[in-house]
Amino acid sequence: MGRSKKFAFPILVYFLVMLLLVTACSTKGDSSDQAGEGNTTVTMWHGLTSIDLDNMNKVVKAFEEKNPTIKMKLVYTESSEGSDQKLLTAVAGGNPPDVALFDRFKVGTWAAQGSLTDLSSMAAESGIRKEMYYPFAWEESSYQGKLYAMPMDTDSRLLFYNKDHFKEVGLDPNKPPQTIAELEAAAEKLTIKEGKRFKRIGFIPWYSQGWLYTWGWAFGGEFQDAATGKITANDPKVVEALQWMTDFGKKYNVEDIAGFTSAAGTEEMDPFISGQVSMKISGNFTVKGIEKFKPDLNYGVAPIPTPTGTNFTTWSGGGSAIIPKGSKNVAAAWKFLEFLGKEEGQTLLNADSQISVIDSVNDKYGYKDDPIMKEFINILPNSHNRPVIPEGQLLWNELASATEKATRGNGTPKENLDRVTETVNKALEKYDK
Amino acid sequence: MNPTAIKRINRALAYVCLIIASAFFMIPFIWLLSTSLKPLTQIFTFPPEWIPHPILWSNYSRAVEYIPFWTYLKNTAIITIVSTLGVIISCPLVAYSFAKLEYRGRGMLFFVTLAVMMIPGQVTMIPLFLLFTKLGWVGTPLPLIVPQFFGVPIYIFLLRQFFMGLPDALREAARLDGASEFRIYLQIMFPLAKSAVLAVALFQFMGSWTDFMGPLLYLTNEPSYTVSLGLQQFQSQKGSEWGLLMAVSTLMTLPIIVLFFFLQKTFISGITFSGIKG
Amino acid sequence: MAKLADSVQVNAIPSARKRALHRTNVTGWLFASPWAIGLLCFYAIPMLMSIYFSFTTYSILQPGEFVGMNNYRDLFHDPLFWKSIYNTIYFTVFFVPLSIFFGVALAMMLNMKVKGMAIFRTIFFLPTLVPQVALAVLWMWLLHPNFGLVNGMLAHIGIDGPSWLGGEAWSKPSLILMSLWGIGQAVVIYLAGLGDIPDEYYEAAQIDGANWFQKTRKVTLPLLTPVIFYNLVMGMIGAFQQFTLPYTLTKGQGTPANSMTFYVMYLYENGFRYFKMGYASAMAWILFIIVMALTGIIFITSKRWVHYQGK
Repeated sequence: MGRSKKFAFPILVYFLVMLLLVTACSTKGDSSDQAGEGNTTVTMWHGLTSIDLDNMNKVVKAFEEKNPTIKMKLVYTESSEGSDQKLLTAVAGGNPPDVALFDRFKVGTWAAQGSLTDLSSMAAESGIRKEMYYPFAWEESSYQGKLYAMPMDTDSRLLFYNKDHFKEVGLDPNKPPQTIAELEAAAEKLTIKEGKRFKRIGFIPWYSQGWLYTWGWAFGGEFQDAATGKITANDPKVVEALQWMTDFGKKYNVEDIAGFTSAAGTEEMDPFISGQVSMKISGNFTVKGIEKFKPDLNYGVAPIPTPTGTNFTTWSGGGSAIIPKGSKNVAAAWKFLEFLGKEEGQTLLNADSQISVIDSVNDKYGYKDDPIMKEFINILPNSHNRPVIPEGQLLWNELASATEKATRGNGTPKENLDRVTETVNKALEKYDK
Repeated sequence: MNPTAIKRINRALAYVCLIIASAFFMIPFIWLLSTSLKPLTQIFTFPPEWIPHPILWSNYSRAVEYIPFWTYLKNTAIITIVSTLGVIISCPLVAYSFAKLEYRGRGMLFFVTLAVMMIPGQVTMIPLFLLFTKLGWVGTPLPLIVPQFFGVPIYIFLLRQFFMGLPDALREAARLDGASEFRIYLQIMFPLAKSAVLAVALFQFMGSWTDFMGPLLYLTNEPSYTVSLGLQQFQSQKGSEWGLLMAVSTLMTLPIIVLFFFLQKTFISGITFSGIKG
Repeated sequence: MAKLADSVQVNAIPSARKRALHRTNVTGWLFASPWAIGLLCFYAIPMLMSIYFSFTTYSILQPGEFVGMNNYRDLFHDPLFWKSIYNTIYFTVFFVPLSIFFGVALAMMLNMKVKGMAIFRTIFFLPTLVPQVALAVLWMWLLHPNFGLVNGMLAHIGIDGPSWLGGEAWSKPSLILMSLWGIGQAVVIYLAGLGDIPDEYYEAAQIDGANWFQKTRKVTLPLLTPVIFYNLVMGMIGAFQQFTLPYTLTKGQGTPANSMTFYVMYLYENGFRYFKMGYASAMAWILFIIVMALTGIIFITSKRWVHYQGK
C-alpha cells in the first residue's frame, strides 16, 4: 500500500544513517596498541599535570631506555580526590589499565575487594624490601601482610605560623609554640575581634589538616589496636583531643569561625595565605601553593604542639602505583613499578615537587638544607599512617562527622567517638569471614 | 488612566525588574570573564577586583597550548553535533506518537518513559557501562552518540507536551486529503513544533557540549578526549590554574551564547492558524 | 428484518474497525519503535540490573551475595538516610515552587516585544552555561561571610550577613539561591510555550476589554499549563536528584553537620566510596517509589488544571 511504502522509506534512511555512524565511529576508535613484534605496551592511568607530568615523562623515558621491549602508554584520567569511577568501572567491566596511580589510603579497601594484584612475590624477587622505605609508606601499601602497591611519594603535616603576625603581637617568631598551652596562649594573642566579627583568628584546630587523626596522635592516642586490628576511635587520648577541640570551639564560638573554614574551599582562598588566620596545621603540599599565590608571605613551620611539648608526631599519606586485577601485562607492569620504587625512578619522579618515600633521595634533593622543607623531612621517622582497613573511607567520614558534631555541641566527644568505633567495627565484621 | 498609559507603565516596571535581575544573573559570567584575564595572585583577593590590571590576554594563548584544545574542541563538536542530530530525528517522532497517535500499550510505554527518569544515574551507570563493555563500545564515542538516535526521555516528554497542544483539526483535514500519518507528521506537525524542537536541540547541544561523566568513562584515548575532560587538567591537588581554566571555560561557552542569541527569535515566534478557521 | 440487517451491520463493522485499529496500532508502534528499542537497551536493562543489585551486597568490584531485603531494612535504621531525605525534601519543597514562579514571571517579562530583548534573554541564560566547577568556586567566594560580595552588600544596608555556607541554618537556603540561578533553561521552555499561544486569543480578549491581569489569568496561564506541568514534574525529579553542586561545595562531606547531605550524595558515597553499591541501589529504588508516587499525584491532579489546546 502507498502508505506503508511511504513509511518504509524514512525508516530505511534512518537505519542507514545508523549504520554509517557505526562504521564511521569504529574507525575513529582506539588506535591499535600495536607496539611492534616482541614488544609489550603497558597502559598507565594517571591524574598528573604540569610539573608532576613532566617528571613522570622523564621517568618513562629513562625506564624505556633500560627496558627496550616495554612501551609505556600514559593516559590522563581525572584525579580529584576519591573520584575513581573510571577505574572502578574499568575493573568491574574487566578491562582495566595495567597500572594506575592510586592514593595509598585506598589500598586497604580495594585489596579487601580483591581488585589489586598482590605484589609481594615480585617485590621479593626484585629486591624491593620494606627497609628501603619509610615505615608508614610500606604499611599503608600493604594489607594483611601482603604488598599491594608501590609507594611513590609522601607528605607530612606541621604547624604553619605567620612570622609577621607573631612579631606584631610581641611573640618571638623564632620560638613557635610547642605545647598545647603555648598554642592556646599564642592563638589568643593573635586574634583580633572587631565587635561581632573576627578580623583575624589566631588558630582554628580543625582547619586544613587539623583532622582528628592529627590531634588524636598528637595527644598520644591510637586509632587501631595493633593486636586485634579493631578500631579504637574512642581511645581516651583521642577523646581528650576532641574535647580540647570542642573547648577551643566553645571559646571562640564555632559558628563565628565556621565562616573561615567553610569558604576556604581551595588553596587559593586559604585564609592563612590572605592573613586572616595566623596559624594552621597543613602539609608540605601547601608550600607550593604559598609560593604561587603569595610568595612574599613570611612564615615558618614547626612540629605540631603536644600537651607535653615532647613526642612530636605527624601522619602521612601519599601516592602509589598499583596493578589492578585483570591487567594483561602484569610482568611488564611490575617492571615499571620496580623502577618507580627504586632510587633512580624516585629521584626523577619527585624532583622539585614531592617528598620521596626513600630517605636518601630526599637527602639528594637538598630538602634537609631548606629551612622549611627540612622540618617536613625530619619529622618523617615519627610519622603515622592511617589504619589500613577495608572501611578506610567510612572511618574517615565518621571521624570528620564526629568532629563536626562534637564541636557544635551535638553530643559529647566520648559519645560521638563511641558511636564511630561501634559503627566502623560493625562494618568491619563482614570482612572477618 | 487610559489603556496605553497603563501598558507603558507595566512595560517600564517590567523593564526595571529585568535590569535589576539581569545584574544578578550576569555576575557568574562577568566573574568568569574577569578571572580569565587575571594573573593567579589577583583572583581571590578581598575585596574583589572586577577589572584585572594588567589584562592578561596571554591566559588564553597559554590555555589553548596547555591542553590540545583544538583537537578536543573538534572531538567535542563532532560528538555534540551528531548526538543533537540524533535527538532531533528520534525524539519528536516518538513524542508525536505519544501525543497524537492511538495504539495499544501507549499508556504503558509512556509510563515507563517517565519511570526511567526517576532512577538516579549513579546506580544505572555501572550496569550501563557493563553493557557497553560487552558491546565493545568502550574506548569509542559511540556510547555518547548512539543512544540519542533512539530517544531521550526528558526530550520526549517535553515534545509530547507540545504536540498535545497542536490542534487535531489539522490532522483530520490532512487525513481527508489522503495523507499518510508519516506525511502528516513530517510536513505539518513537525514544522509546527519547531520552537520546541529547537529548544530540545539547544538543550542536547549544551548537555553534550559540557558532558563530563560520559567522556570520562567511555573515552580512553587522549586524542579523542573532549574539552570538558581537558578542563580537568587545569586542576590539581596542588592548586589549580584558575586563570587558564576560566579562559577555556569562556571559550567553551562562546559558541553556545552565539547559538542561543541567533536562535531565540524562533522560540518566540508564534504560530498562526490562519486558513484553518471555519 | 431490522434484526437481520442489524446483525449484518454488527458483524461487518468490527472487522473493518479491527483492521483500522490494527493499522493505527502498527503506525503508532512504528513511530515509537526507536524509543522502544532504546528504552529497553539503554534504560530498562540497567534499571533491572540495579533492582537485582539492591537485593545483594554488590560492591562493584565483587558480585556480593544475595541478602534479600537486608539493604532496605538497614536503610530504615540508618539515621543519615533519614537526614538526607529531610534535606532533600526541604530543598524540593522550597526550590520547585520558587523556580516555577520566577521562571514564568521572567519568561513573561522576556516575551515583551521590545528592542533589546534578545540581549536580556541571553543574559538570563548565561549562568546555565558556566561550568559547574567554576560555579562552585564562585559561590564559595561570593558567600564568604567576612569578605564575600553578598555580605559586603548587606553590610552596606546595615544587615549583618550570616555565615551562608558555614552554618546549618543557612546552608540549604544558600543552595536554593544558587540553584535558582539556573532557571535559564526552564525559562527557555516557558518562552517556547508562550510563543505557541496564538495572538488571536489575545486580540479576542483585548476586544472583550480585558486588562493585562485578566489576560494573564484567562489566556496566558491556562495555555501555559502543559509546559508548567512539564517543569513541575521535571523540576521535582531534578530536585530530588540534586547532587553535583552540593557535592562540589562540600567535597562530598555534606558539611556543616550533614545539613548538605542530600539523598543522591549519600547514595553516591555508599556506592562509590564505601563500595556498598547494593545498598546504594536500594536507596535508588526507594527514591524511585517516592518520586513515582508524587508524579502520579501530579498527573492525576493535572486533569483538573492542565489545558491542552489541541483537544
